Amino acid sequence: MAPPVPAQYNQQYTQPQQSSIAALTNQFSNMGVGGAHLIPVHLIGMPPNVKDLDDSPPKINLPPNTSVTPSDKANCDPSYKRSTLNAIPATSSLLSKSRLPLGLIITPYRSLKEGDEPVPVISDTIIARCRRCRTYINPFVTFAEGGQKWKCNMCFLSNDVPSQFDWDIQTNQQTDRWKRAELNHAVVEFVAPTEYMVRPPQPPVYLFVIDVSYPAIQSGAVATAARTILESLDRIPNEENRTKIGFITVDTSLHFYSLNSNASVPQMLVVSDLEDVFLPQPDDLLVNLTESRAVVESLLRSLGDMFKDTQIVGNALGSALLAGFKLISPIGGKIVVLQSSLPNINPGALKAREDPKALGTPKESALLQSADPFYKKFAVDCSRSQVCVDMFLLGSQYSDVATLGCCPRYTGGQTYFYPAFNAGRSEDALKFAHEFAEFLASPIALEAVMRVRASKGIRMTAFHGNFFVRQTDLLALPNVSRDHSYTIEVGIEENITTPTVCFQTAVLHTTCFGERRIRVLTLALPVTNSISELFASADQIAITTLLANKAVERSLSSKLEDARDALTNKMIDILGVYKSALTSSQSGASPQLQICDNLKLLPLLSLGLLKHVGLRASSQIPTDLRSYAMCLLTTMPSQLLIPYLHPRFYSLHNMPQEVGTYGSEGTIMPEPLNLSSEKLERHGAYLLEDGQNIFIWIGRQVSPQLCMDLLDVRSYEEIRAGKVSLPQLDNAFSQRVNAIIGKTREMRRGVYYPHLYIVKEDGDPSLRLWFLSHIIEDRTDTVMSYPQWLAHLKDKVNISFL
Amino acid sequence: LFLFAVVMAAILLFTMVFFTIMFSDLECDYINPIDLCNKLNQFVLPEMMAHAFITFIFLINGSWIAFIINAPLVAYNINKVQNNKHMYDATEIFRTLGQHKKECFAKLGFYLISFFYYLYRMIVALINES
Repeated sequence: MAPPVPAQYNQQYTQPQQSSIAALTNQFSNMGVGGAHLIPVHLIGMPPNVKDLDDSPPKINLPPNTSVTPSDKANCDPSYKRSTLNAIPATSSLLSKSRLPLGLIITPYRSLKEGDEPVPVISDTIIARCRRCRTYINPFVTFAEGGQKWKCNMCFLSNDVPSQFDWDIQTNQQTDRWKRAELNHAVVEFVAPTEYMVRPPQPPVYLFVIDVSYPAIQSGAVATAARTILESLDRIPNEENRTKIGFITVDTSLHFYSLNSNASVPQMLVVSDLEDVFLPQPDDLLVNLTESRAVVESLLRSLGDMFKDTQIVGNALGSALLAGFKLISPIGGKIVVLQSSLPNINPGALKAREDPKALGTPKESALLQSADPFYKKFAVDCSRSQVCVDMFLLGSQYSDVATLGCCPRYTGGQTYFYPAFNAGRSEDALKFAHEFAEFLASPIALEAVMRVRASKGIRMTAFHGNFFVRQTDLLALPNVSRDHSYTIEVGIEENITTPTVCFQTAVLHTTCFGERRIRVLTLALPVTNSISELFASADQIAITTLLANKAVERSLSSKLEDARDALTNKMIDILGVYKSALTSSQSGASPQLQICDNLKLLPLLSLGLLKHVGLRASSQIPTDLRSYAMCLLTTMPSQLLIPYLHPRFYSLHNMPQEVGTYGSEGTIMPEPLNLSSEKLERHGAYLLEDGQNIFIWIGRQVSPQLCMDLLDVRSYEEIRAGKVSLPQLDNAFSQRVNAIIGKTREMRRGVYYPHLYIVKEDGDPSLRLWFLSHIIEDRTDTVMSYPQWLAHLKDKVNISFL
Repeated sequence: LFLFAVVMAAILLFTMVFFTIMFSDLECDYINPIDLCNKLNQFVLPEMMAHAFITFIFLINGSWIAFIINAPLVAYNINKVQNNKHMYDATEIFRTLGQHKKECFAKLGFYLISFFYYLYRMIVALINES
């Protein structure tokens, strides 16, 4: 009796002391509960540290034991799904007070490079879902009643654990349920049983609609495309030999090709009735790739020569699309459009409405809208039949990207734009061939729908990306392309009472080898009541992605100026709230601008967004380029988007010795520099890349040795500026630079193959201006430099939060 | 005359109720946006025509009060047609759903009030006649 009591007494005495000391030290070291650090950083006067752009997002501090297993994969990897705030505010008033945007950036179908783990697949079709809210079982549920029931973490309903959870049917043994993939990994793929299918899984279908009018043949687009398709036939996903392929060529009439596998040559059938399109043959227009491989190859070989002498300048894209739709709508699939001229025959005729006088004025925003409702309506019909449209626009003149881009936008496809394409230039042909081949080779997911579920009290408010919104939160994607990201804005409806919140995204899709699968991505985040923790867990890259999407949407629904103003105001709001809520100078003017450490590059990134081709206030940007930039801004995943907004800038002439050589993790890249022209030395050579273009800037006083090593010319004057491919010379410098460029081209996920431009310091002024427009910390005619931008923000913050 | 106006107002009222029910179906997933737009777009123009017709009849009949009440709505409708915003677009409908619902409710209330007003005028006219 006596011994236990003193022991208890001892414990009681020491524990409160320890906990109070621990609490004190906690308070001293942290500024927020839960371990989120808020480190203030001064913005004015210090150049931003661009290396920090590669940092991972703030750590998600979940309370312990939230996840059922201690696996470190239990929470979602940021490259698949990331949230703008890694701690969710408990009330919507806290969220609106902080002015931070809340949203999710989802890239469900991320391409995997070597070294990335594949997504675990659960092939026994035991899918445990909550009875009430239909959430899939995930690592954050709680098990009750000794493992007989599981409690959903979204609606807190107790569900029965399926009996086969512990029993492996195939080997007829007990299995450890804690080893099951869906309890250990946040990103899993279930194989779906027949209840999830409306019809048997569809095979991949590729229908090529090729423009063969005079401009297309002249620029060599048709020949290059035919050759690329021929070479990529083996890479098109065709694992079960079910892939179907078909061709339609268009000028002023439609040409269909009968590709019967028994015939040795393809037969061309011409249909000139454009108003009321019909299919000339009921079958053999869309054939199985494996069976008719020989006929398809002979067609592709002769496609370039077939139309060599055409002089027809018309193009009836609308009718071709309708005919193609009729052909593949029973099955669904992909329509790949290779367009080189403006369609000028009804339906869907477009006028060259580009007006150089309207650029830079408020009327420019009208040019960014779709001109003809035909394409939008067509896209909606396509989405219903699970048909996806991808546009490759290879025009040498105005191609009305704004209108034609509607088709891919609402059907889950993508627009690819090659301004002034000319296959005679080897760089153009190489870029198109590479991107087209990568595009054909990428495994796509078919007839997909995507839904995001969240815990009680949270609602998805707006969706951005290439899809069609079928119901309030159901996104229909006829095809899920690789590396497309979808941005979803999130709102808080009721106050959240639980300590954590879960977001679960489910993509129900058919793989290209005919299996119906469900990819589930689960993200759990802690809930906070303190504004400092909110700021400390904000992810600046995700916030930038969300703001980019919103800016594009704003400029399409109202005007470009509104989008820019909204972006500026958002930055002012965020900085102002930080100042008034979290710094010592609560109100009143202050000479310094402060933000927390994890958001310190946000002003730089937002300046990059404002100066970006898509949104910049300038009267010299053609509408096509702007529309294309907007298409890219809305679909690029964060990994590609950040270099697109803030290009990587390296100096080549004073690289350390080991840069450019093959290191332990691949080619060692040089240190990125700040994007300011004071880094441009007279004798230097610099490399700037943004994922779409690579520029090499050669200073005026560059040493002849460098010219010789890099470009095989004797002096600066002999360097040819413009689009080039770098020669592969024998010396170390050239090899290292080529290695760096090679790594740049393949280090990010995505199909894009950047062009290489050489810019001489006193060369072609338009090329120089284009290069300099990427140096976002500098001032140009109409937009501010980075220090000016900070000063502008500080003034506005001081005024509005006085 | 006012009898006719009462009947028309009743019809317009029913149309608005139909629109409202369709919108709430969309929110509850009973209908998809493509079908919704197809159904609703059929009725948008006839509704505007009917309303404009009534207002015109008021004008030529000299019932200034009724005309003035209805005139702003006609102006609003004409504005929408000129900007090509009167049709419902399946791709944008989820974004603007809140705004459309508010508009429908507002029109519903307006037609209800005008229905009762015409009823009152009709009764007054009948009493005056007899």
